[in-house]
Amino acid sequence: MSITRWLRRLAPLMVCLVLLVTACSSAPSKYDQVQKDTTGFGSPAAVNKKAEKGGTFNAFFPGDQGNYSVIPYQEKKGFAEYKLEQDGKTLAMLTISDTTSVPAAAEKYKGATESISGFPSVEQGSTATGVLVNDRYQVKVLSRDPSFTKADRVSWLQKFDLQGLAQLKGALKPVAKPTAALPETPTAATPPTAPAEPKTGLKLPKVQLPGLSPSLQPAS
Amino acid sequence: MSKKIYEIVDKLPTGGLTVRALKTLDTFVPGQWNNLVGFDNTIKTVTGETDEAMVQAIGERAIALFNDKKQGYQSALWLYETVDSASGLLGAAALANRIGQDTFLGFLKNLSPKPEKAQTIDLVVKLVAEVVAFCKISGIPGDSLGDFLAALGDYSSESLVRMAALVSFDGIIPLGADFSTKALSAIKGMGASDLDNNQTFKGIKDEIPGHDSKSKLSFMTESFESTKGWMDKFVGDHNITQSKLVDNLGGFIEGSKGKLDYLGAFLDMSVKYYEHTGTQTLARRLIERAVAEI
Repeated sequence: MSITRWLRRLAPLMVCLVLLVTACSSAPSKYDQVQKDTTGFGSPAAVNKKAEKGGTFNAFFPGDQGNYSVIPYQEKKGFAEYKLEQDGKTLAMLTISDTTSVPAAAEKYKGATESISGFPSVEQGSTATGVLVNDRYQVKVLSRDPSFTKADRVSWLQKFDLQGLAQLKGALKPVAKPTAALPETPTAATPPTAPAEPKTGLKLPKVQLPGLSPSLQPAS
Repeated sequence: MSKKIYEIVDKLPTGGLTVRALKTLDTFVPGQWNNLVGFDNTIKTVTGETDEAMVQAIGERAIALFNDKKQGYQSALWLYETVDSASGLLGAAALANRIGQDTFLGFLKNLSPKPEKAQTIDLVVKLVAEVVAFCKISGIPGDSLGDFLAALGDYSSESLVRMAALVSFDGIIPLGADFSTKALSAIKGMGASDLDNNQTFKGIKDEIPGHDSKSKLSFMTESFESTKGWMDKFVGDHNITQSKLVDNLGGFIEGSKGKLDYLGAFLDMSVKYYEHTGTQTLARRLIERAVAEI
């Protein structure tokens, strides 16, 4: 009948349409789930509101030693990173991060069988060695050159001021306004003992600038 | 819909005009840039990790960080994309098709070179975009030129080649060897209205420090003046000259010799080096942070 005839005529068109639509949508990726989980209304922030300011960590990084240079690289909320260079060649990255944003990062130290300066230590992947300070601050050294071995990573982890970092928890100030609804803030029992001379980090002499809009503050 | 950083990095081209133009700079900064593309490939190359579960974990953290708007990565990417598209003209695709054809010379003749003033503003706006975007990515306060200059001294790979492209394609080719002096004196003689009529400035002005065009111009002048020494030294150290640049580009842009202003306009509309290398810088920093945080 005429309907069948119409359908027969429409069929190629429909096939084309289907092909077009499928061609437009991208191939599935192993990252689609995390993309879905971290976008859209109500998706969780990647960095916990209470995470320590990255700049606070600068004080606990080692300084230049001999022909090794320790160069500021990144400083974001809950995270600070330095590059370890020798004669202009990058050997490793030195980092401190606040695991309040990534609880699984702290979890992995529960089964730690090794320790460095009294703090639990684990090997992660083939290039990283980390320690967890006060169940919260993760200090990692990540090799960027094959000549920089696990022994070198351990040696550089020992050069951090881990004991100083351990005092930081008590010096924490709550980021959000304290309200009754908030979970318990860190105890005030430990007095703040941040080192008097913090590493300058990314700060250098400032150039005098014109008035700036409030939108140009550090990204986080 | 939110942009997918893993798709953007996966789709970075391995060939085409942008990549070819950037590769010509290898003469001046040898071995610095190897056009790192692909999200997983970037993770493996940057971190040295090959275990799939580890790569996945790093990738997931990097994606979460990118998707959190407060982290500043999205606006940095927007800056790199916008400053390129705002400075170019329409019709890049049509132009690209003509490369290597004998009609290309004829096409060049129909292309209007950008006036020197517009070219100067482009150069300065692009430099400021770098200051602001790089600061967002690295967590340096965006108004801190001193911190930026310190970081600039440590630039390498795709970040260094982006600066090499800036001084070459937006400086030396259209404005000549003394581009920095010329541009600085030109920008000092400009007023806010000159900026307001410029497409590149209009494209990203909301992200430039300053509450109005006048103070934005002041920040731009200051940024350029502070960076001028670095740019001049870079050009001198790497012996970058207009004739060498044109010789290198001549390898694939036929008929470009002797038509420098046209070549500048052509590069402007068809080479998206800020977007390309900016995405690579952003991916690298994201991944460096992700692997440390997991």
